[in-house]
Amino acid sequence: MSTLAPWTPPAAPGPPMKSGRGKQSSPLSWRWGDRLALGFAWFAGIGLCVIAAAIVGYMGFRGIQYLRPDLLFERPALSTTQSGSGGFLDPLIGTALLTVIGVLLAVPLAIGGALWIAEYGRPTWLARVVESSIEMVAGTPDIVIALFGLSIFQLGIFAPFSFKASGGGVFGKSFIAAGAMMSLIALPPLFTATRDGLQAVPMHMREAAFALGKTRIATIRRVLLPSVRSNIATGVTLGISRIIGDTAIIVLLLGETLRLDPQGSVPGVGLLRGTGSTLTSYVYGNSPAGEGAAPQKAYAAAFVLLLFVLALNLIVDRIGRSSADATGMTVAGGIV
Amino acid sequence: MTRIRRLSLAFAVAGVLGVAAPAGASAVSTVTISGATASYPLVSLLAQKYVKTFPKKVKFKITQGGAQIGVNDVAAGRVSIGDVSRDPLAADPAGLVFYPIAKYGICVITAKSNALTNLTSAQVISIFTGKTRSWAQVPGAAASGTIDLISRTSVAGVLTNFQTLLLEGKKVSTIAAEEPSEGLMRSKVESDPNSIGFVSNYQSDKGTVNAVGLNGVACNKASITSGQYSGIARFYEVTKGKATGASSAFIGWIEKSAAAKKIINTQWLSIS
Amino acid sequence: MLERLRNPWPDHRAERTLGAVSCLVCALVVAMVVFVGIHAWPIFEHNGLSWLGSGGDLGRQLADMQNTTQHPPPSAYHLRAWPVVYGTLLTTGVAVVLALALSVFSSIFIVELAPARLRRIAIPVIRLLASVPSVIYGLIGILVLVPFVGNHVISGAEKESVQNVVLLTGAGLSVTVVILTVMITPIMVALICEALVSVPSSWREGAIALGVNPLRAMLAVTLRAARPAIVAALVLATARALGEAIMISMVSGSRAFSPKPVDGLVFFFEPLRTLASGIVDYHEGIGAPALGSALYAWALLLLFSAFVLSIAGYLIKLPLRKFQVRG
Repeated sequence: MSTLAPWTPPAAPGPPMKSGRGKQSSPLSWRWGDRLALGFAWFAGIGLCVIAAAIVGYMGFRGIQYLRPDLLFERPALSTTQSGSGGFLDPLIGTALLTVIGVLLAVPLAIGGALWIAEYGRPTWLARVVESSIEMVAGTPDIVIALFGLSIFQLGIFAPFSFKASGGGVFGKSFIAAGAMMSLIALPPLFTATRDGLQAVPMHMREAAFALGKTRIATIRRVLLPSVRSNIATGVTLGISRIIGDTAIIVLLLGETLRLDPQGSVPGVGLLRGTGSTLTSYVYGNSPAGEGAAPQKAYAAAFVLLLFVLALNLIVDRIGRSSADATGMTVAGGIV
Repeated sequence: MTRIRRLSLAFAVAGVLGVAAPAGASAVSTVTISGATASYPLVSLLAQKYVKTFPKKVKFKITQGGAQIGVNDVAAGRVSIGDVSRDPLAADPAGLVFYPIAKYGICVITAKSNALTNLTSAQVISIFTGKTRSWAQVPGAAASGTIDLISRTSVAGVLTNFQTLLLEGKKVSTIAAEEPSEGLMRSKVESDPNSIGFVSNYQSDKGTVNAVGLNGVACNKASITSGQYSGIARFYEVTKGKATGASSAFIGWIEKSAAAKKIINTQWLSIS
Repeated sequence: MLERLRNPWPDHRAERTLGAVSCLVCALVVAMVVFVGIHAWPIFEHNGLSWLGSGGDLGRQLADMQNTTQHPPPSAYHLRAWPVVYGTLLTTGVAVVLALALSVFSSIFIVELAPARLRRIAIPVIRLLASVPSVIYGLIGILVLVPFVGNHVISGAEKESVQNVVLLTGAGLSVTVVILTVMITPIMVALICEALVSVPSSWREGAIALGVNPLRAMLAVTLRAARPAIVAALVLATARALGEAIMISMVSGSRAFSPKPVDGLVFFFEPLRTLASGIVDYHEGIGAPALGSALYAWALLLLFSAFVLSIAGYLIKLPLRKFQVRG
């Protein structure tokens, strides 16, 4: 160390250091492969934005062209062709009813499961099995879930959930059947959001509660659940957006009658046991793939559906931002 | 707090039971029907008139999927009545009773822009079995290019009857596109200028497609009523065993009442 | 008794209840596999595994199944479903490969190259696209793309060249793959963008400091570090593409036909059918036991492939764990 020359300060201060990206190599001097990659990246990015704008813009254009406010409040016409009068009030009610049933059934399952995984989780092999099965449900195509629902609800013991025909066959298609399967669709996003929220709660909050003498279940009830409220809200909103967008389960499990068709004479239960339609099956039915032969109504209903999805996305964004401001933690707004 | 909760729970339960009890006393029986897409418009009209004539007695649940699906559903006990648009086959399950309710005609159709007025039986067979593939080989056709064959899926009764009555038992070529219902068949032919297909006269009488005559006889309700047209088939209502209860009342009303006959004769032909 | 339910529960009871709820979810998954398997068993019983192979006209076989009664003879269960398996593999494979390229480069564009204003609108728009229902994609496909391809892209000569085998309308392979790619790209872009942003920027800046140009630094450093996320995105996108039923049934031409690459350009317009779209198309005939078994067998195959996919994703991510970026 003593052999180093003594440090002398520079004679005059040099030019001030510039901050920023500094001198970058221009693409003209790159290798061909890199230039190709740059070009492709620009092409892909602009292309994706253009496609997105085209889809949203075209649906908006057609929707505004064909959507009239009275369509939202009129019941569908009774004939198979919908090109005359009639709106889509019953499909709207069907969508709302199905969403409520699906979320009501999914919430206890998902939150209970997430709480158990995050807070208890013993034995560990069981915890891993539960997590893998939720992943399996997440990756299962909705058509397979629909077939599963059909195979269950056409069993004799589930006859009260739809109706039994005079020859003894169980119909198996009703709001309850479709709602139960919709809860399986909404389960994975809700479970993942709640579990991630619970795992993000810092340990010191739990330890403080334990130090004050609270049992684990009491901490869950009084401390943890309130703090993951925004995660649960995000999960529920993601689940709702998956439910309202699903068509395959509706086509197989809801009996596809254009109007709500209650089954039996008890008022509320009859509606649940009955058949109906939703916005998605209405759009499918009125497109050239279905009987309705009313593409204008299909465009209008599709536009309404798109507006719902947009509103739900905005809600997820808003929840994410407000919770980030409040707690300093971010909510993982996943796509699943 | 506990007492209020318990009392409100008791009130809610009593309320639900109170509403349910009188409603449950006057139970309305449900008649479920499934089957042919060709007879669906007719049976829907008949059911609507029946409900208006005898209110609060019967509720109808009508679906469509194809005549064979109607036969299968009735045989399995999934529905009370099956709509079938073809005659009974030897392969049908035992124990089914076929009640004829109306007659209809099967018309060959092309797009409105392809104003083909007539085809002989030989031409129809050659086109639909796939031997003739180009419009240039069909005299009188205004279309050019490949013939787009449109057929029905195999569960359709109209397909069975078409093959028996107009194709002399031969099968439609596998090249043909298969539409699951009459409505879709009609809209496909409407939108494709090179297409040719077949529907019941109810669909072709709407005027959106060109109905082709067979062997010099035009295909419309007049020629079907007079019996000149050769492609005439029947609609049946099928039950497992003899019809009982609400199904029997409905089928009896269709066969005997004047109102039902009036409805049938608007677009179709009554049996008697 | 209500008092016992309302007082704070002891921990062990709460743990058992929550554990039971979680086991209910497992039980549902097991039930799903069991029920679908039970209904699919007759097809395996009568065909072994050869029902996945080819042989005969699948459309005719399914039609014959539909026309059988409640007690079908063993010959009714004859099934050779290769055309639909091939259709599924073809559409999913091509769409996933295209979507991978498109999404990786779009993510690089959004994260690195886009001007700030474009980036701010691009991310919410991509997330909106990822949650658009498939029936809306199908509607745009069947009302806009299919007539366009049918009337303006397919020439009369091309139609005539296959007129003795199959009918060419606009609905077919090209429209299906295009829409499927557009459907699964936003999912992948959202996940890959998140991963690219979470890689510490010091890694990339270090590469740039060593003289690498920015794009290569992005490709060589950040993208490599985000590989677990790309694998996760791939698994998710493939699962979505495999299970897509409604959109494909609207735009694929719905014929159990195997598009042949040797047909040249016509290959892109030939109709097809996939496992999932076939289930939707034939679901009304599910009352016929033979056809019902066939549909459940296809569902079992889809279930099995979803299962294999998630295992494959897990196995691929295992060696990538040594990177410290959260995957």
